[in-house]
Amino acid sequence: MARKLSRRDLAKYASHQLAEGVSLETVARHLAAYLIESRRTNELNIIVRDVADELTATGRVAGTVTSAHQLSSATLKEIEQFVQAKTGAAHLSLDPIVDESVLGGIKLELPGLEMDTTIARTLTILKTRYKKA
Amino acid sequence: MNFLTTFAETAEANQDIFTALGIDLRLLILQIVAFLILVWLLGKYVYPWLMKSVDERQKNIEEAAKAAKHAQESAEQSEAATAELLAQARKEAAEIVSTAKLEATEMVTSSEAKAKAVAEKIVADAHAQTQKDIDKARRELHDETLALISLTTEKVVRSTHDKKADEAMIADMLKGAQ
Repeated sequence: MARKLSRRDLAKYASHQLAEGVSLETVARHLAAYLIESRRTNELNIIVRDVADELTATGRVAGTVTSAHQLSSATLKEIEQFVQAKTGAAHLSLDPIVDESVLGGIKLELPGLEMDTTIARTLTILKTRYKKA
Repeated sequence: MNFLTTFAETAEANQDIFTALGIDLRLLILQIVAFLILVWLLGKYVYPWLMKSVDERQKNIEEAAKAAKHAQESAEQSEAATAELLAQARKEAAEIVSTAKLEATEMVTSSEAKAKAVAEKIVADAHAQTQKDIDKARRELHDETLALISLTTEKVVRSTHDKKADEAMIADMLKGAQ
C-alpha cells in the first residue's frame, strides 16, 4: 500500500496539475480516487480549500460571485478587474452563481477573502445589530 | 393480833393519865405504829410510782405546751411567710402582667413594622416587575418594528430592484471599494 500523503502534498500536486493545463475534471477524478482508496473522504473540503490556497499562492485565484440576477459580461469583467486589483492574481477564474435570496448586490468568495455587499446581508445586519432583546 | 390484844390488856391494868384523859395508850401506840407502817409502805411503793406518774404527766404536759407553743410560733411564722409569699407573688404577678403588656405592645409594634416593610417590598417588587414588563414590551416592539422594516424593505426591493438597477448598484459598490 502506498504511503499516506499529507494534505499539503495533495494540494501541491493538484495545483501543479492544474497549472500544467490538465483539465479540472481529470484532476478531480484522481484526487477523488485517492481519497476513496485511502479512506480520507472526510478531508475533502479541507483539501479543496488547500488546493485553492496553493493556486492563490501561485497567482491562480478561483472563486465564486453570487448575485440575485444574471450578471452581464461587462459587470462580470468589472468584478474580475476589482478582484485582480485586490489579490494581484495573474489568472482569475470566477464562477457566477444566481441566488435570488440575496435580493441585490454581490457576494464574493475567494480563498482567504470574502466580501458580502448584498442587500440581504444589509437587512440581516439591520435586524441583528439593532436588536435589543 | 394476839400480841396487840395482850398489849391492850396489860395497858388496861395500869391506870394513868392517858386513861384519865380517856386516851387508850396502847391503842394510840398501835395506831402510831400502823400509821408509820402505812407511811413507810406509801413512801416505799406508792409515792415513788405516783410521783413518777405525776412527773411524767407534768413532763408530757410541758412538752405538749412547748409543742403547742412551737406550733403556734410555726403557724405564726408560716402565716407571715405566707403573707410575704403572697405579697411577693402579687408583686411578681403584677410585674409579669406589666412585662406581658410591654411585650405585647412591642410585638404589635414589631408586627406593624414588619407588615409595613413587607407591604413596601411588595409594592417595590410590583413596580420593578411593571418596569421590567414595560422594558420587555418596548424591546419586543422595537425588534418587531425592525423585523417589519426589514420585511417591508425586502418586499419593496424584490418588486423594484431589477437587473439594471442591480448592476448599477454593483458598479457603484465596486467604484466605492476601489
